Amino acid sequence: MKKLKSLFSRFYLLLVLAFFYLPILYVVVFSFNDSKSLSKFTGFSLQWYEKMFANRTIMESIYYTVVIAVIATVVSTIVGTIAAIGLSKSRRIVKELTLQINNLPMMNPEIVTAIGLMLLFTSLNIKTGFMTLLLAHIAFCIPYVMLSIMPKLRQMDPNLPEAALDLGATPWQALTKVIVPEIMPGIVSGALIAFTMSFDDFVISFFTTGPGINNISIYVYSMYKRINPSINALSTIIVVMITVVLILVNVIPMIKERKLKKNEKLD
Amino acid sequence: MKSFARMLYPYLIWIAIMILAPMLLIILYAFTKQGNSVLTLQFTLENFARFFSDSIFPNVLWRSLKIALITTVICILLGYPAAYFIAKLEGNRKSIMVLLITLPMWINMLVRTYAWRGILLNFPVSSEFKVFVGMVYNFIPFMILQIYTSLTKMDQSLLTAAEDLGANKVQTFLRVTLPLSMPGVISGITLVFLPAVSSFFIPKLLGGGDYVLVGNLIENYFISTGDWNFGSAISLIMAVIIMISMFITKKVDYENKGETRA
Amino acid sequence: MKNWIKLGLCGLMVVSLSGCGGSGKSDVDPQEVYGCSTLNVYNWGEYVGENVLSNFEKQYNVKINYSMFASNEEMYTKLLGGSQYDVLVPSDYMIERMIDENMLQPLDKSMIPNLANLADGVKGLSYDPDNTYSAPYFWGMVGIVYNKNNVDPADVESQGFDVLRNEKYKGHVFVYDSERDSFMMAFKALGYSMNTENEDEIQEAYQWLLDMDKKVDPSYVTDEVIDGMVTGEKDIAVVYSGDAAYILSENEDMAYWLPEEGTNLWSDAMVIPANAKCPKLANEFINYILTDDASYDNSSTVGYASSNKNVLEEMSAPGGEYDGNPAYLPRVGYAKDEVFKHNEVLKKILADLWIKVKNS
Repeated sequence: MKKLKSLFSRFYLLLVLAFFYLPILYVVVFSFNDSKSLSKFTGFSLQWYEKMFANRTIMESIYYTVVIAVIATVVSTIVGTIAAIGLSKSRRIVKELTLQINNLPMMNPEIVTAIGLMLLFTSLNIKTGFMTLLLAHIAFCIPYVMLSIMPKLRQMDPNLPEAALDLGATPWQALTKVIVPEIMPGIVSGALIAFTMSFDDFVISFFTTGPGINNISIYVYSMYKRINPSINALSTIIVVMITVVLILVNVIPMIKERKLKKNEKLD
Repeated sequence: MKSFARMLYPYLIWIAIMILAPMLLIILYAFTKQGNSVLTLQFTLENFARFFSDSIFPNVLWRSLKIALITTVICILLGYPAAYFIAKLEGNRKSIMVLLITLPMWINMLVRTYAWRGILLNFPVSSEFKVFVGMVYNFIPFMILQIYTSLTKMDQSLLTAAEDLGANKVQTFLRVTLPLSMPGVISGITLVFLPAVSSFFIPKLLGGGDYVLVGNLIENYFISTGDWNFGSAISLIMAVIIMISMFITKKVDYENKGETRA
Repeated sequence: MKNWIKLGLCGLMVVSLSGCGGSGKSDVDPQEVYGCSTLNVYNWGEYVGENVLSNFEKQYNVKINYSMFASNEEMYTKLLGGSQYDVLVPSDYMIERMIDENMLQPLDKSMIPNLANLADGVKGLSYDPDNTYSAPYFWGMVGIVYNKNNVDPADVESQGFDVLRNEKYKGHVFVYDSERDSFMMAFKALGYSMNTENEDEIQEAYQWLLDMDKKVDPSYVTDEVIDGMVTGEKDIAVVYSGDAAYILSENEDMAYWLPEEGTNLWSDAMVIPANAKCPKLANEFINYILTDDASYDNSSTVGYASSNKNVLEEMSAPGGEYDGNPAYLPRVGYAKDEVFKHNEVLKKILADLWIKVKNS
């Protein structure tokens, strides 16, 4: 019975993965397409890779996408965590109100947030460019981080930090040694979502960036008129890079562990 | 303990500038006439009257809400088991699965949707089905992540206690696991439903653009028509409706919680 | 494989160090000549030849900040937000609007001798009769692309845009999701000017579109139409001539027709905003784009009709890249063809009606 169940769960997860990776596989295959078509495979070629690497705008947009996504993720995760913890200890009315406002950027169509931010920067006389783009990304990432952390804070035993304080821990220790480890899964998924949102954002980026600073999405959308399989090549490279990182991060500790065990046995 | 509440204050300043101020500008637009300069603002309710005067606009909003709702329900039904099974995996495999689910989202949404368009071209399915495939594909990772997060680090002793008290697996799940993971489900609903209402790119690309959705409408009024006032009014109406529906969802959640405690 | 890595490293270096290869650089100090050394260019996505930008940078020892947009209105909104650029490439009606709103500065024609290279058909169009503010970049028509095997050419040729109301082709039609292009078809099919403000004519065109929606149940698409026609997903579509040229070169079954009742003649042209920081270099850039070499690279990469008459000739001459492709060369001097005029009021009326058509 138990075996059957684990078989079912494995099968289900396999189906989920197949669903997730079917379009990715499609993108990878068409990045090797001989022609420009995105739906008819005419033959194998590497031309889109060459074109991609030779295309300065693409290379620059990769750079900005990564830099913005990394900084925005780090900042919004830290700020979001702090704010979420503060929020969980606030009065109910403050909490409800803040959460509602927090939901605004998620609820409004991106174009509304984008125009709102653009108007804000214009009326404050701030020139749009790298900084405004980064600020905008941080702004729309934080709510996602908080939303991921709040459930964990709700699940946490509220007496836990209190007990730590009673036992003589400083508030800082209670925070870092008790609360943060307890809500870690929420922080991690919040950071993941923040990175994803920043990496993939188009509308807000478009209206808050300045001349010469583009991310991958701006590039992709602006050419969606004459979409170019170089983007498939780029996507393939992103997939490959992430996969390599994943393997390194996950497999190396496993190998080390095995070696350790072997050594122990030898001892 | 209250000292932790102070950690919120800097963020309150931040949202006042980065979220509230832009939102106020939009609200200002919604309540003013077009072509006003800041000095000669003329307040009006015309934009709202216009929305409700023609059945077409409420219809568009209703259709968008419906699509978002169906998408959210499918995401819960398919996402919950996935999150549950992932949470049951051992150590390392868990984080690998989580990353594997996040990874496809790092490929541009437009690229992924174009890929689905190409794939589904080969299957004789209705355009409605295509739209939901695209929508669920785009949003379900958020649902899975949120539910998974609430399922991990769940107090295992509660589960053991339930079993000790003679509850079978199904009872344990329904009475203990499910209620405990509800905050995650609610977060998931927020993350899926809110953006889904205003999304229009996926329905447009996969559904053959046969119908207008509210995100499309707002974008149109903001960009191609340049009528920011009406666009702002539409998004304000939408925001209010969504806020009400989210409020109801939360209320239901609180009531349920009261029940399980009792 | 090694080449890729080199290319990749090169690309990354461009990002961090600006400049790869570096050979052939001139020793001119752009600060001295133009008063600045970076040029902010704002153009359509995928609208420039592979080496056009880098060659200009090398030749003039400057850096180009290149940004892209996907619609005229997007670009306009961005300008409202205070972004400053030196060269823009909007379409006809948008240029007219920007001239009206004093957003452009006149070109310095003494710096642009290559204006002499402009093809006759694209010179002095109604939005800027003396090309005071704008130098055409690409131009073209809007035409019908259809599948010869499934659609009777006689139907298309005799009915023109009215073939979109032919029930025979129900479910096999793409229509461009834009009030501007759709109403253009309707007005032209009814024999009116596409810039009409006459209310009865607008109502008639609206009825025409409702009728089309009912009779052929079209798929409303934007630029997916290009890939859709290449793969032969549908049989009839109304597309820009440059895209038609590409579709025809990829799919032999497709044919092209310019309706006899007239259609839209459009042009995207280079302009310099009034608030440009580097107008001198902008004029130099415009002159450079109009050279035969740069124009050829642009037209060959993008597939749209060049504004440069020599390139136009070379592309369509026997042995040229678009030899025998009927969609490449625009139709010139046909009285019934029109250029869009800017009209805010009309645009809003049409936008509302178009939403109703799609929702009917």
